[in-house]
Amino acid sequence: MFTKKSYKRAKHGKSMFKFLREKISGWAKKLSKEEAKKQEIKAETREKAGKKPRKIEVSEKKEGFFEKIKTKISKTEISEEDFNRYSDDLQNLLLENNVAYTAVEKIIWELKRRVLGREFLKDEIESEIKASLRDTIEEIIMNPFDISFKIAEKQANSKEPYIILFVGINGTGKTTTIAKVAEYLKDKRLSSVIAAADTFRAASIEQLKKHGEKLNVKIISQQYGSDPAAVGFDAISYAKKNHIPVVLIDTAGRMHTAKNLMKEIEKISNVCKPDLKLFIGESITGNDSVEQAESFNEAVGIDGIILTKADVDEKGGTAVSVSYATRRPVLFLGTGQEYRDLELFDKRKFTEKLGL
Amino acid sequence: MLEKLGDLLRRTTNKIANAIFLDKDMVDSIIKDLQRALIEADVNVLLVKELSEKIRKTAMDERIKGIEKKEHIIKLLHDELARILGEYKPLELKKTQNRIMLLGLYGAGKTTTIAKLGNYYAKRGNKAALVGLDVYRPAAPEQLKQLAERNHLNCFVDMKEKNAVNLWKSCEKQLKDYNVVVIDTAGRHTLDKELIEEIKALDREIRPTETILVMPADIGQAAKKQAQEFLQALKISGVIITRMDSTAKGGGALTACAETKAPVYFITTGEKINDIEEFNPSSFLSRLLGMGDLEALMEKIRSVTDEKKQEKMQQQIAEGKLSLEDVIEQVRSMNSLGGFEKIKSMIPGFGSAKIPDNVLESQEAKLAKWEHILKSMTREEKENPELLEKQTSRISRVAQGAGVHGSDVRSLLKQYRLLNEMVKSGSGMDMSKGLDQRQMQKLAKKFGKIKKIRF
Repeated sequence: MFTKKSYKRAKHGKSMFKFLREKISGWAKKLSKEEAKKQEIKAETREKAGKKPRKIEVSEKKEGFFEKIKTKISKTEISEEDFNRYSDDLQNLLLENNVAYTAVEKIIWELKRRVLGREFLKDEIESEIKASLRDTIEEIIMNPFDISFKIAEKQANSKEPYIILFVGINGTGKTTTIAKVAEYLKDKRLSSVIAAADTFRAASIEQLKKHGEKLNVKIISQQYGSDPAAVGFDAISYAKKNHIPVVLIDTAGRMHTAKNLMKEIEKISNVCKPDLKLFIGESITGNDSVEQAESFNEAVGIDGIILTKADVDEKGGTAVSVSYATRRPVLFLGTGQEYRDLELFDKRKFTEKLGL
Repeated sequence: MLEKLGDLLRRTTNKIANAIFLDKDMVDSIIKDLQRALIEADVNVLLVKELSEKIRKTAMDERIKGIEKKEHIIKLLHDELARILGEYKPLELKKTQNRIMLLGLYGAGKTTTIAKLGNYYAKRGNKAALVGLDVYRPAAPEQLKQLAERNHLNCFVDMKEKNAVNLWKSCEKQLKDYNVVVIDTAGRHTLDKELIEEIKALDREIRPTETILVMPADIGQAAKKQAQEFLQALKISGVIITRMDSTAKGGGALTACAETKAPVYFITTGEKINDIEEFNPSSFLSRLLGMGDLEALMEKIRSVTDEKKQEKMQQQIAEGKLSLEDVIEQVRSMNSLGGFEKIKSMIPGFGSAKIPDNVLESQEAKLAKWEHILKSMTREEKENPELLEKQTSRISRVAQGAGVHGSDVRSLLKQYRLLNEMVKSGSGMDMSKGLDQRQMQKLAKKFGKIKKIRF
């Protein structure tokens, strides 16, 4: 049997965000260096002219002239001009790392609000800016919750099964992710039943059945072309009858622009009344991730996000984009082809990986 | 498809065209809009910077004056966009057996694309076969088999064999009679050494004439790296970009291909088997900028209607006379083209015409009714639908016979009138040879005027 400890975590974590981490610290250094240089020049000219520094703190009165200068050199304020000049670099950096444009705008705006008008000690500029950037990003990314707790909560209060609906566009890996989630729940000693409600894509039912055989999980299915809501309903009835605590509903991938298909997913959601609606996205998706997540959120009101294919690319920006678009937490990252390649999303770790 | 990006680009060019005086602030705001539009379309950030610098330079160039400058900038924008989209390089079939192997990330849409590609070549008079060599993903062979059966294509798969090379060897002999063989492989990402080895072994064994990378349109800034890595590890001869419907603009995938000099052969635009089209950067750009793309439309029509019917239609168009059956035939073929929604962007002027969404969606439902209506008409009425309008009692008779409302019959008549008018005014044109630029502009003007189209 698998224990909680053996659960694979952060397999690719080191390489995944290396690129962004190096870039961010480079940027922060550049900004702090520029500031320091400018401040020194200013101080020099002040010394020559023998002028008093602009701001004098109360305690300064007792200090000698050189002490005054010293504190002045080591304290500095970032002007709006400077910020704007360097924010372009940060903007490019975030964009290059796949953060969507709207989310980048928000981050820069937030950072500006935090940094401007504050005094920094010279040596601390870099770490202070980094801290502000971290706070900004952490505010955008929501705190993830553990689905097993939610399930336990429901189990304690009622006999009904906990229903999870998976939605997303074509080819993001919904079916594979469902198999992984079933495996994850098995680790937590929760059995589940899977509804093959993708009745459109060729061989989707066979694919799930094969996963079911390997994982020893019951798959409820009907014919291709049948009503997906009905398949979901069947699975729920089966779970009630057999006292299975969790129902996982796989749905057909659909483009968020196909109106009739989005109505279909609304219907599935209305019929099955899921406790949790998860959006499955790809971590390689660019700016479109915002629109995808938003449309599904509008149609069914999602509760959480799973990002797949996190092992394909080291850029981590999509997590920021989808969190910003939906105000919902990223729960898991899919990091490979094995059933165990499902990583719990850890907000702290994520920002740590960014070098913040 | 791509409406938002097209809108933004059009707005930018309009802004330039309408500017009375191009001062620094104006140029800055135009460049900002442009950057936003392109970055949201996932175009590589560095490329966007490069492009905007060029435009800024031209705009600030003192030697170019006044109106000339505006035209200069618009032309520059057009040329630069064309440049980042790359050259037009279609997939050319060879006389000997064509072996087309598809590679790509997981879930990029390889298997679906293979069925589309097989169908595409089969419709154009080739003997096409599909071979499924994805031995890893559960139920991949079943998926290909179901797709092939649905579309009457020949397909070779083996549910039990777990070695791709052996699988190929076992079916190679049976493939002799086919001139186009499309081969599916397992999804991979480039970091996976094992799968790369497998592909290299397959490459030696199959000796494909084309090795095509399949990329989704919504891939972001990762596109360039992906394209490069695949190119480095394997000999890629071309690219197919999937999921070009939806809000994804494909900027990342398209520009990555242009940069790495890998030609984009096809783009796919939906879930149905006909949703694949050859990629031509210049017509793609003109569609993006709202100038329409009649060439692609004509090509699509050619692929779905059979020649005899088309000849007859052409003759009637030349005579300036259509029957009701022709109207229905046309709407039906429009539906098999992928519905009005897809054709809209290809017709000049339609992109900017305001057509209510629900009108486009209900076409399919209407079509079914129209067929019943037609069956309830006498031959005389079918040939001269004007009769119904003159003697309105005929309308209620037909409606009763077909089990529909009188308004449904009237809407069919309206459609007939609209098409007939279009045909009459356009009867001088020979559609079969395609349209030149001037004719296109004329058409664009005409359609642009019809602000409210009702069916």
